[in-house]
Amino acid sequence: MNKKTLFESLQQQGITRRGFMKYCTALTSLMALPPSMIPMVANALETAKRPSVIWLSFQECTGCAESLLRSHSPTVEGLIFDHISLDYQHTLQVAAGDAAEHAREQAMKEHHGKYLVVVDGSIPLADPGYSTIAGISNLDMLNETIEGAAAVVAVGTCSAFGGLPQAAPNPTGAVSVSSLVKDKPVINVPGCPPIPTVITGVLAHYLTFGSIPELDNLGRPKVFYGQSIHDRCYRRPFYDKGLFAETFDDEGAKKGWCLYRLGCKGPMTYNACATLKWNQQTSWPVESGHGCLGCSEPNFWDAGSFYKALSIPDGDYAKAAGYAVAAGVAVGAAAGFANQKNKANAVSQHTKVTVDDFGENKDK
Amino acid sequence: MNDTLNITKGINALKEQIDAPTAAFFSSCVHCGLCAEACLFYTETNDPKYTPINKVEPLKRVWESEYTLFGRLKKALGLAKPVTDELLAEWEPLIYDGCTLCGRCSMVCPVGNDISTMIRKVREGMVASDHVPEGLVGASTRAVKIGSPMGIRLKALQAQIKHIERDTGLKIPIDVEGADYMALLSSMEIINFPEYIESLAKIFKQANVSWTLSSEAFEATNSGIQIGSSDIARELVQRIVDGAEKLKVKYVISPECGHAFTAIRWDGPNLIGKSYSFKVVHILELLDELQQSGRLKTQGMEDKKLTFHDPCQIVRKGGVEAQPRRLLSQVASQFVEMSDPGKMNWCCGGGGGVSANERADDVRLKAFNRKKSQLEEINVEVLVTACANCRLILEEGLEENNMDMPVVGLSELISEHLLEENAVEGERDE
Repeated sequence: MNKKTLFESLQQQGITRRGFMKYCTALTSLMALPPSMIPMVANALETAKRPSVIWLSFQECTGCAESLLRSHSPTVEGLIFDHISLDYQHTLQVAAGDAAEHAREQAMKEHHGKYLVVVDGSIPLADPGYSTIAGISNLDMLNETIEGAAAVVAVGTCSAFGGLPQAAPNPTGAVSVSSLVKDKPVINVPGCPPIPTVITGVLAHYLTFGSIPELDNLGRPKVFYGQSIHDRCYRRPFYDKGLFAETFDDEGAKKGWCLYRLGCKGPMTYNACATLKWNQQTSWPVESGHGCLGCSEPNFWDAGSFYKALSIPDGDYAKAAGYAVAAGVAVGAAAGFANQKNKANAVSQHTKVTVDDFGENKDK
Repeated sequence: MNDTLNITKGINALKEQIDAPTAAFFSSCVHCGLCAEACLFYTETNDPKYTPINKVEPLKRVWESEYTLFGRLKKALGLAKPVTDELLAEWEPLIYDGCTLCGRCSMVCPVGNDISTMIRKVREGMVASDHVPEGLVGASTRAVKIGSPMGIRLKALQAQIKHIERDTGLKIPIDVEGADYMALLSSMEIINFPEYIESLAKIFKQANVSWTLSSEAFEATNSGIQIGSSDIARELVQRIVDGAEKLKVKYVISPECGHAFTAIRWDGPNLIGKSYSFKVVHILELLDELQQSGRLKTQGMEDKKLTFHDPCQIVRKGGVEAQPRRLLSQVASQFVEMSDPGKMNWCCGGGGGVSANERADDVRLKAFNRKKSQLEEINVEVLVTACANCRLILEEGLEENNMDMPVVGLSELISEHLLEENAVEGERDE
């Protein structure tokens, strides 16, 4: 059942070649690769055998799996996800009990050294009894499963950074995957939940290059977590102009002004929500009128109230900004005049070109 | 009073070319590289030097050091990269051999930079510093001194007209004052494709169009635009304007030639600094209008599988996209589109003066591989186009690649299917 290539699976689902190439192009640009890599990505996705994926769910709420698996219509992203060979996922698989565990063991044996392990949820260290599967503690299952893995993808903030289970006072002693796994590459895909496209993007990168994408200092793929929500936010111009909503129902909120003073954590949050959006690019939290919670950052749960502004500048900054703008306009105008004069000089120095002037014609 | 063309004049010309849009373009370039994939000189050679935005490097350097604060600081500190004679010499082949000014790069730029117009601006600097290919100097010189880039004089045109009149029994009007339309011709049509003149005569007779040629302004090709000298281009546009005003025509018809249309339709009024007393139409626009209004009637269908090569200047800069398709639907039963049809079509590789520049022959034939693979994809028997230069380049490229396929001008195809007068009755009976 693993013989079909990804592209063949997609074809069976009625995805056209054109749709597939569009996806590859979008993916290539998403991964910040040069356009000359598009054919390479396409080729890799076309010929790649479905990789075996073992999905381990520890202390989690299944929200991450929901986010990734819920395909409202058969999108290519959804299908890419459908057509990895998901050999073990205890929420989704049909098998139960011993048969389910057997599937995991079999996949580990058959694809030793090649399979990917996806983990959602944190691992309790205080007492293994807080979370077990088939009588096996989360820690034991993790250690056992990653032994033959090619790489580990920590999906969701719980597995990437500890997340909600780790929030003070952390009764279960929850820890992240990366604090336990030291001898395998770990890709953190945080978010509560993370954006589906990001995980398919990471998988596609792995399929294309056989390696993991470039990561930031928190182990997150730079292409998706390289820019802050704030920098890519469509409400950013209001922030720059100093126009803020003060409550959720004032004039400013109705006009779509910046939610910074209502506690938006966009400036310190690195994620792709502002560009990729959610629910098939329908909307995202800030667009729906609520500030960013900063869910893709470590300890977001303990970072104070969601509604407390990060910091409010003191003093009459509006006035200061006004002066700065006026000064800027003056400098700009001066530069403009200088440039116009420069150009006028060039025009006045123009000497008319005739065909007799060409060196070619002078030699004759 | 003109001294020789030199680097100082070249830099001054580049300075003169920089305007607000150009400055905005340079500031907003995000270095994404999408223009490379849109350029057939890059895709067919894989040589990054052909990346369109790289071709405008000399203009960029002048903009930076003359018109930006940091650039001026850098220049003052001696850190700026200067524009030198060597730089322009190195860039000359990129600007003239490796760019047809087809404008496809401008279409894909995500921030809306009109790169091909910038390359056209760089050519002004190249001209002023005398870094121009021999072939284009020759063509421009002949255009200015003889009246046609191919060196065709009025006598040659008159000889062709005589042939056509004898073959068809139709009159080709010359210098008819007060005619509605004055037709222009490209020299390639006069020498290589006189069928075009014949087609005009046949079509205009059926559609009852009052038209004329001008003995003083029959040449449509504007070598000044191709070499990139506004001074020369202005002189050539002025000839047509004078000719049209003398004959008091209402319309001037740009022939099946790409750059001629750009030159007379778009650049012309800006070059001479005033609006025309006449309107400029492309022959395809006119034919479509005649057909829509019922004045042009056709019969029979070409049943061979054929496709249409959109000339860049006509479709991309001129917006003439629907017209050829409407016309073809009347005379061809098996019309198929190439990949990337219409305004995203790939250039034949020989526009923008490249075909007049023998030095570019090798890279041009390499660039033709794009068209070759486009044609192989759809497996057609006939290739239709609407530009004499495209037609010549396509014929040459097909021959070079041993592809046996006739290349036909669209006007010619229409004229072959004109409804014959005495067939009108028969048509009604059907």
